[in-house]
Amino acid sequence: MRVGVDVGGTFTDLVALTPDGAIEVRKVATTPEDPTVGMFRALDALAGAPHAPAIELLVHGTTIATNALLERRGARVVLVTTRGFEDLLWLRRQDRAALYDLARHHPPPLVARGDVVGVTERIGPSGVLEPLTEGEVARVVAGVRTLAPEAVAIALLFAFRDPTHERRLAGALRDALPRVPVATGHEVLPLFREFERTSTTTVEAYLRPKVSTYLERLDGGVRKRGIGALRVMTSSGGTRAPAAAAAHAASLALSGPAGGVVGARLVGAAVGQSDLLTLDMGGTSADASLVVGGAPLADGGSTVGGVPLALPAVLIETVSAGGGSIARVDEGGALRVGPESAGAVPGPACYGRGGERPTVTDACVALGWLDADSPLADEVRLDPAAAERALRQLGPAAGSDSARMAAGIVAVAGAVMARALKRVSVARGLDPRRMALLPFGGAGGLFGCQLAEALGMGTIVIPPHPGALSALGLAAADERADLLASFHRPLDGLEPRALALAFGPLLAEGARQIPGGALPRFADCRFAGQGYEVTIPVDSDDPARIRDAFLAAHRRRYGHAGGGLALEIVNLRVVALREGPLPRFAGETRTGRRPVGPRAFVVRGERVTGSVWSLDELAAGVTIQGPAILAGRDATALVEPGWCGTVHASGAVLLVRT
Amino acid sequence: MSLDAVGLEVMGHAFASVAEEMGLVLIHSAVSPNIRERRDCSAALFDAAGEMIAQAAHIPVHLGALHESVAAVRALSPAPGEVFILNDPYAGGSHLPDITLVGAVEVDGAVGGYGVVRAHHSDVGGMQAGSMPAGARDIFAEGVVVPPLLLTPEVERFLLANVRTPEARRADLAAQRAAVERGADDLRALAARHGWAVLREAARDLQAYAERRARQALARVEATGLTATDWLEGDGVDDRDLAIQVRVDIRDGVFHADFTGTAPAARGNVNCPLAVARSAVLFVVRTLLPEDVPTNGGVTRVVRVTAPEGCLVHARFPSAVAAGNVETSQRIADTVFLALANGGLSVPAQGQGTMNNVTFGGIGVRGSGLEAGWTYYETMGGGQGASPGAHGPSGVHVGMSNTRNTPVEVLEMEYPLRIRSYGVRRGSGGAGKWMGGAGVTREFEALAPMDASFLSERRRHAPCGAGGGGAGAPGRTLVNGVPLPPKVSTPLAPGDVVRVETPGGGGWGQPEPGGER
Repeated sequence: MRVGVDVGGTFTDLVALTPDGAIEVRKVATTPEDPTVGMFRALDALAGAPHAPAIELLVHGTTIATNALLERRGARVVLVTTRGFEDLLWLRRQDRAALYDLARHHPPPLVARGDVVGVTERIGPSGVLEPLTEGEVARVVAGVRTLAPEAVAIALLFAFRDPTHERRLAGALRDALPRVPVATGHEVLPLFREFERTSTTTVEAYLRPKVSTYLERLDGGVRKRGIGALRVMTSSGGTRAPAAAAAHAASLALSGPAGGVVGARLVGAAVGQSDLLTLDMGGTSADASLVVGGAPLADGGSTVGGVPLALPAVLIETVSAGGGSIARVDEGGALRVGPESAGAVPGPACYGRGGERPTVTDACVALGWLDADSPLADEVRLDPAAAERALRQLGPAAGSDSARMAAGIVAVAGAVMARALKRVSVARGLDPRRMALLPFGGAGGLFGCQLAEALGMGTIVIPPHPGALSALGLAAADERADLLASFHRPLDGLEPRALALAFGPLLAEGARQIPGGALPRFADCRFAGQGYEVTIPVDSDDPARIRDAFLAAHRRRYGHAGGGLALEIVNLRVVALREGPLPRFAGETRTGRRPVGPRAFVVRGERVTGSVWSLDELAAGVTIQGPAILAGRDATALVEPGWCGTVHASGAVLLVRT
Repeated sequence: MSLDAVGLEVMGHAFASVAEEMGLVLIHSAVSPNIRERRDCSAALFDAAGEMIAQAAHIPVHLGALHESVAAVRALSPAPGEVFILNDPYAGGSHLPDITLVGAVEVDGAVGGYGVVRAHHSDVGGMQAGSMPAGARDIFAEGVVVPPLLLTPEVERFLLANVRTPEARRADLAAQRAAVERGADDLRALAARHGWAVLREAARDLQAYAERRARQALARVEATGLTATDWLEGDGVDDRDLAIQVRVDIRDGVFHADFTGTAPAARGNVNCPLAVARSAVLFVVRTLLPEDVPTNGGVTRVVRVTAPEGCLVHARFPSAVAAGNVETSQRIADTVFLALANGGLSVPAQGQGTMNNVTFGGIGVRGSGLEAGWTYYETMGGGQGASPGAHGPSGVHVGMSNTRNTPVEVLEMEYPLRIRSYGVRRGSGGAGKWMGGAGVTREFEALAPMDASFLSERRRHAPCGAGGGGAGAPGRTLVNGVPLPPKVSTPLAPGDVVRVETPGGGGWGQPEPGGER
């Protein structure tokens, strides 16, 4: 069987896809000092069950890279760069950190300024302008050795065009310092724009020692248990073998959230929805993302912890609206939610672990959405009285009673999330009204109807096991490697042979990394002079067909096709891919056809009595009229009045407006 | 007030989302780099009475400056659904490259509000490509003047017949129109969801909320009779200093800036309409407010800006204004900050106070795709002033600008230019307990014959420190090592090297003996 393990901040989720299509879910507390402890605990519990099938594949979603960036606990890096441009990481793109807060600084680079070594050499757009001498190589090696780095990043101007200088420096440094990992710009991100490439190369060097140590240790533990193979989730939503992942440490920066988007895609495919807006609501924040045409939308320009990282990544927009987000009334009399969060410790007031300030989760308890009698995954029992006490601190401005205050908090949290969902879709020219909403995470399903109405969406997909969707995505994820090359040629007059020739090395490298996999080709195209590229599939070397595909994509995304402007191809991409299995979502084993009981709760300020259903037991074909609550072991969903749910064979619940 | 605490926040997000969406539609469907990449544009939603409800400002120089555009269009009694166009600085505009579209949004058969989208078009005709001519002496030299007009195909044809790059302009205008229409659709969708009466009420309550927050913040910094004088270094026609003088009174929660004493309108193009002065003052006020106060008509109610008609910052037709938007706006903000600092208020020291505009252009380059002539325009970051409690950031755009740079690799691939070095200008930040941010150095080498033009400030008058802090280093522009005046055009031969050193920011507070750095 295939197993996905998602190590989150609070919980480690495990999903096993058994050969007969069943889905097994385990949840254990994360062991922050060493995440592999909790992970193996969950695996051993799974494997220890009688008749447990052998684990052929273990796919891991890790926050090790993300946390190293957020907490600034990576390697001490020396950056080797073209002389005269040593300050690139400090100059960034010259825009300031905040428009109106003039004291705000960008987060400092990952490298100390004293650890930058300038090299006398220069490559220009059409070749070497100043050669790199052997003497200079020796001087640089000596200079780097003196600084005694834990990792080295080499990023020279125009190395995406001509990597010879980077190669020579890397070779000399690897010979001289065999134990120090060396990352080069042309290997990490062979694309133009020097700041983004230098920053990304530095991230790679910064993360590599920590990531490779972790993955080696993990792989050892995996082998010891007789597990077939380990693979690691990357930011682009595909998996890599541990050695390849360790050599592309920066590609793991969004390993955690990528799993959820892949899981959303799988559920969407199972229920026939290929265009999805997804929302993962966690404890401190909510992540919005997109699945378009059955594939997670990838962007090439994210930042993690304020550090630009231009590798292919599943699009994630994070807003500070999670279950632990704290509510307050500001001095102008408006009710605000977040960005302050009660986090996992002490957590919401209703957890009874010392939290006193009102949070979104406290509001959900006060509204009767969460059941005080069912413990949460971490054996937490909800204390409604504590939630009420916390809410009342908000005072009369927030509402005349705690139910009104609670309704206000969920309305505000919903408004924050709706704005984020709108931003991610509109910024890419997509109309949310033509998409389905897929909320997940423990509390995402509670906000589905509210968000869908705010965005004019008519369909909501509540996935099976919404609290473990990321682990499910991991278990079924594709194997994937992203190969990139710079091209920069006008489309007019382009020889089809030239294009085929340029794709050649990428295809060969893709076939080497994923033998027998699919090798779809893509090109980043733009109108000449534009700053934005659109990635389009390249099915044919014929420039006319590339032009048509670009114009159609541009019109779809931006509403116009440029009116006769010249086109150019900027970058080439090959995605080496071997698809994972589509889980069978064995819905036939579910037998729940009746609600487990009625409950009184509050929806949009009205006290209603609705039915409560056991989310994990719903039989296919069951219909559920709102108001209703779908209570699962690790997540809860709310069906508001005016919405009706149908249980799909996969176990997903499709909500539509009545 | 009728909106409760929840309604305020929920409707605030809803309106902000409309403006944000208009801005995104514009940025992602415009063609020209100046809008798409540098984001020299903004979008806003106004109510039927012409008061702003929400603005997505990507660049501070547009902050609150769209009010006049809406007023100019409202004076023409627009019918529901009509879209107007304007760029006339003397009828709702700022400078000619800023083309503004104002759509009268139809709700229930009447005008329910206005969607406004402003974008800087890098060509509106006139005597020089780029439409920012240094030697302009009246508005007619700066490009085609469009008074508020119903945007019809005929008006568009007329406009496009007067520019050098009609295809790009047509596409950018289409993007602006699409953004206006998206705003209208969104406003109607909100009306359908919440009810039109509720929505109108909500807009008013949000303005009252922003006003309340702004007044509370200003009440904490009451002060009267704060004055300052600062200088513009020539007008592009001659090199004499021009005074900008301000008196600031913050009383009863209202911020009043009066520019009596400012030099009369100049012969060159450093003048600006009062709307631009108001944006600059609003920018300063905005930095005094908590970051989460929404920018809407409520904030503008607490800001009063007055200036004698015909002076530099309240220019009269037909004064030239192209540089007023980019450089004079900076100096206005600087002068107001200086007045506050002189009065002992705890505000940041002056930043670099210029955008260091550089333009290179030439014709017919060796079959490189630039045969038809080319222009490259760039603005450069510098030092931010130190704040009480923080060093000033280095190498950033300050004040009214916040555009990104052009990557070295892009520049060298597309133009006959080479960058010899690009770095932080160490030691240029003003001394102080908190140091001013450092400027930037950038060396351009010409690879072909070309013309260069420089429009800059702070080459003679250094950015001031505050609270006892030292001044930042003034900037320098050198060709082959020889310093140039602040505003000048010069031909370059292949091999010539232009070095721009941008100013550092002022420091804050007395330097501590033996302090770091």
